Amino acid sequence: MIKYILAALVFGVVAGYLNNNFGSLIANSWVSYYLFNFSLILLLFVMGFMFGADREAMAKLRRAGLKILVIPFSIALGSVVGGLVGGYVLGIGIVGSMAVSAGFGWYTLAGPLVGQLFGAELGALGFVVNFLRELLTILTVSFMVKVDRYAPTASGGATAMDTTLPVIVRYCGSEALITAFSSGFTLSIIAPFTITIIATLPH
Amino acid sequence: MNVIIPLLAGILLGLFLRDKKRIDLGKATFGAIVALIFSMGFTIGSNNDLLVLMPRIGVNAIVIALLTIFFSVVFVKAARKVVRFE
Repeated sequence: MIKYILAALVFGVVAGYLNNNFGSLIANSWVSYYLFNFSLILLLFVMGFMFGADREAMAKLRRAGLKILVIPFSIALGSVVGGLVGGYVLGIGIVGSMAVSAGFGWYTLAGPLVGQLFGAELGALGFVVNFLRELLTILTVSFMVKVDRYAPTASGGATAMDTTLPVIVRYCGSEALITAFSSGFTLSIIAPFTITIIATLPH
Repeated sequence: MNVIIPLLAGILLGLFLRDKKRIDLGKATFGAIVALIFSMGFTIGSNNDLLVLMPRIGVNAIVIALLTIFFSVVFVKAARKVVRFE
């Protein structure tokens, strides 16, 4: 599976680059918007269907109850700690680096918001770090699932509610659907607040 | 919202058709996952701003991204032990 994913990604990057820079064969939006949304919506529907039809997955979720919220908040804390360590190791200032990590993978938020609060340079870093988080989650999922059943969800952060959800469910099974989705959803809600709160720290 | 609607529709239909004959959806999702990843790659490749940024801040970004992922996984693993989340 992972080699097909890798091949699809590489072909996608090359096709996108060629199409954009050497005569547009098709409009970028056909792939970036229509194909993307069509496949994502189809996948979410199918994932939902498999979950709904799976008795065990529903029963497991009922047993876990509100405990599933432990997952996103652990991810949030872990992400910010990761940013702190990264900022320290690279010597680029820990507050900005923590804010960058608090995008939790949501790069279209982290780029502009961190840019507004910390300047363009960190805004660019916020965009790329969170974009890489999504990419690395997809590329490492087969390894991550061996580390921990919820490691792919942790790695995906906020993206576990949409773009990385199909890949996570593919590897972790139907029962991971609601845990991963609710984790990504919670992280998406708290990301803007976390970044803004971190920005109030002296930097 | 556009994420929740198809997901919810799928769950409801799955609940409704629970005891019907089981369909193997593995093949259908495989094709759609490949299409999704391709379109994500396409978006990266066609984004010149992103490609220009990569060489300049790429190393710092990779270090922070990897550490962020690493600590997220460690914290989740630890928290699951503490609250006994299966």
